[in-house]
Amino acid sequence: MGLRKRAVEDELETVVLERGYETLLLALRSESALNRRDAVRELSAYPQAVTDLLNTLTSEPEHAVREALLGALQQLGGEPVVAGLITLLRSEDAVLRNGAIEVLQTMPEGVALHMLELLNDRDSDVRIFAIDILQQLAHPQAPEWLLSVLKDETHINVVSTAVDRLAEVGRAEMVPELMAIKQRFPKEAYLAFAVDLACRRIEEV
Amino acid sequence: MKKILIVDDALTVRLYHRQLMETLGFEVGEAENGIEALERGLSEHFDLFLVDVNMPKMDGYRLVEEMRQEPSLAATPVIMISTEESEQDREKAYLSGANFYVVKPADVSELQTYATLLAGGA
Repeated sequence: MGLRKRAVEDELETVVLERGYETLLLALRSESALNRRDAVRELSAYPQAVTDLLNTLTSEPEHAVREALLGALQQLGGEPVVAGLITLLRSEDAVLRNGAIEVLQTMPEGVALHMLELLNDRDSDVRIFAIDILQQLAHPQAPEWLLSVLKDETHINVVSTAVDRLAEVGRAEMVPELMAIKQRFPKEAYLAFAVDLACRRIEEV
Repeated sequence: MKKILIVDDALTVRLYHRQLMETLGFEVGEAENGIEALERGLSEHFDLFLVDVNMPKMDGYRLVEEMRQEPSLAATPVIMISTEESEQDREKAYLSGANFYVVKPADVSELQTYATLLAGGA
């Protein structure tokens, strides 16, 4: 008797949850930004909501709801979230792109699987955004990834971004690679300045 | 002495632009993102803003849009500086209210010339 009652309770709970989920998805299209934000917050408990949350993110006009969407996606985590946020690196919307970068910075293991692909992307802006992610990514391979940019990259702005980031996370043994950049780009005043500054900062640590 | 606010999340870029502007005789302030720049701009006078596009918290486009809504900052000249070189990005900068758009790496003499012109001298 007790077992049967428990089974009925479980079934009822599932029904309530499922109805709640569908209702919350509908609320994502509410005219009220407050309702949309509340729905997003509740949907952060549903792993199956990732696709809907990502789709909503690209069309949501309200800053507060976007923040809630990014927070919910961060909470849910996992490969679908990482992959979805990576696609936003190609967005023309700088706020959306920066939001995606900030959330990706909190997902080192998931991002690590995509980093080489991002650093070799055909779009130089995406390569720069990948380095922006590395700036705050707590991953032990971050300095090596940046070093690979110094060795292989030809676009000056991507190299400059990597030099700037290495000033923060570089190690003494990386100084020769940094100095080599000055020889590869001898006419670039900013790059020479950035390399000298990065070397000084690394040597100070 | 004219004052310039350099707005960029990258320390290296801020230091480099500071050096370029101080060489011309400008007094220089710094901000790491749009929010910080807006706060500084509302509390003290600057003759020119040198603004990066991609920054956390508040990007360059939004900063300039917000400035144009503030009576005390609506007419302050802005040079926007970005790694993005498409016509679309340039247009977006001008639509947001920038006075001049420079693609990184900026030509030093061009940047110095426009900074001096827009600030009305150094």
